[in-house]
Amino acid sequence: MTKVQEARAGAPKAVHTSGRHNEMTCAEFQRELPLIIDAGGTEEQEEHLKSCKVCCGLVNDLRYIADQAKLLIPLYDPSPKVWDGIEQKLKVEGLGKPAQARRSI
Amino acid sequence: MLASGMSEAEAIDRAKEGDSGCFEALYGLHKRRVYSLCLRMTGNTAEAEDLTQEAFLQLYRKISTFRGESAFSTWLHRLAVNVVLMHLRKKGLPEVSLQETLEPAEEDGPKKDIGAHDQVLAGSIDRVNLERAIESLPPGYRIIFVLHDIEGYEHNEIAEMMGCSIGNSKSQLHKARMKLRDLLKITRAERNASRSSSRQLL
Repeated sequence: MTKVQEARAGAPKAVHTSGRHNEMTCAEFQRELPLIIDAGGTEEQEEHLKSCKVCCGLVNDLRYIADQAKLLIPLYDPSPKVWDGIEQKLKVEGLGKPAQARRSI
Repeated sequence: MLASGMSEAEAIDRAKEGDSGCFEALYGLHKRRVYSLCLRMTGNTAEAEDLTQEAFLQLYRKISTFRGESAFSTWLHRLAVNVVLMHLRKKGLPEVSLQETLEPAEEDGPKKDIGAHDQVLAGSIDRVNLERAIESLPPGYRIIFVLHDIEGYEHNEIAEMMGCSIGNSKSQLHKARMKLRDLLKITRAERNASRSSSRQLL
């Protein structure tokens, strides 16, 4: 463990909105977070989340980012040269039958 | 339904028989999503165009093996992901580093949030800033984030494609989201600072 990691692990517990401290520390909760954020955690982890403003804010931010990412729709088309390149390669490889195909479409 | 009035299934059947006009119609239908996938995974326009071309060439060569067990778009996007991953492997770019997961690099990994209080992000992200932030992620983080959070792949599928463990995929995704959170907060702070100085000038 590096000095920075040691310092982080020994950081003070977060301020809890309820005024009490759970058994689980923020460091412990955040260590497990990658595994539980999308699937849900244990009762103890959920309790920590409910009572800790810092971890709750963090989880909300990460979920918000994931939700916003789902809304990113493809916006841009490739330039026409991409199709030109495909067509050319198909001709070189003798795979395509462009004239016949165009008539059928 | 394609512009010609033909269904996608009909176009697939005819493309399987070598009808390149139908293949062109399928290209028209799917080019945007395939290109976006390539662009987001590589963060480079020229590379994304080359990979889009390669993905559709592979599609042409392999379309006869499409059996309809999954949706055609699902099958095509998996093919495109494999083309991009193969390209990145050839380039020697790191996808998922096991070592990094065990010993996160301080300068690159996300910072823990213990004891830190600041404003939440909710409501402050727009599409442009999110796209920019994703583009500036380190390649390993970006690929996992795009595959999971944008393309909707599950961790077990990502682990299989990337040749890593499910835990590793989850860990990298978490780091990617943490890094994005940092980047987006910096963007917001810069935007607020810029607004505030504009107001002072008025």
